[in-house]
Amino acid sequence: MMRLKVEKVAEGLHPSEVIVAIRTSTGSERVVVSARSIQSDSIPVGWPLGTREQTTLVELPRETESGAWRIWVPSDQLLEIEERMRA
Amino acid sequence: MILTDREIQIGLTRKQIVIDPAPSSDAYSSTSVDLTLDPVLTLFDIGEAFVRKVVDPTHEKYNIDAALKELTKSHTIDGKAGFDLEPRQLILAWTKEYVHLPLDARLAARVEGKSSLARMGVGVHITAPTIHAGFDGQIRLEVVNHGHLPIKLRPGMKICQLIFEQTLGTPQKGYSGQFSGQSAK
Repeated sequence: MMRLKVEKVAEGLHPSEVIVAIRTSTGSERVVVSARSIQSDSIPVGWPLGTREQTTLVELPRETESGAWRIWVPSDQLLEIEERMRA
Repeated sequence: MILTDREIQIGLTRKQIVIDPAPSSDAYSSTSVDLTLDPVLTLFDIGEAFVRKVVDPTHEKYNIDAALKELTKSHTIDGKAGFDLEPRQLILAWTKEYVHLPLDARLAARVEGKSSLARMGVGVHITAPTIHAGFDGQIRLEVVNHGHLPIKLRPGMKICQLIFEQTLGTPQKGYSGQFSGQSAK
């Protein structure tokens, strides 16, 4: 599984939420995420969906402000973590 | 396929579904589980009736979260007095329960209203009921009173129900086969 680097930019509307900025291949996107999902300034995004040059397609846990679920991000924004799959 | 109460409980035991705090035994029906209302609400503060505001989602600088911050205020429900949801009023609310659906659990869910509230006009979401695999957090609800009378909302009341469905296969982002062993540089 992969985690995507994020930068916290604001509190969410609810104490359990935060707004984070994500660096994309064309700029940046903002998305509301659960505060519990942020660890070491990153959020879980599962496995990559595709790669193209130095960018990787990932699906976010929630829809961004612009309405996107899947975004191309610079590959160096991803961190691999070990997570055992359930049987 | 929709999960029965037994399958939901098995999913909770196996951590294929996370609901925190765990639902009480009377929160289940045969094919759903009830969730409860968190005390924190977001209320729209649209100003005086003679001041007309228009939201333009097509504007190049449109930012939904900035718009909501400008147009709303936070409110915590007093447990004793409750909160009167007026007819035609839209508020944002959250479930008290934190919900997580792991990517590899082959499950998704739908948020639905409670018929006991719906018959008085209360809807709890606006066209976006799907809880996708990988979701985690307290579920945000768009609550509207379509009825004729104010409806009293209290923290901890049953506000919505979750219906779990088995997905056909594992979503691409939960499937490690294609990228197994690869590391991002």
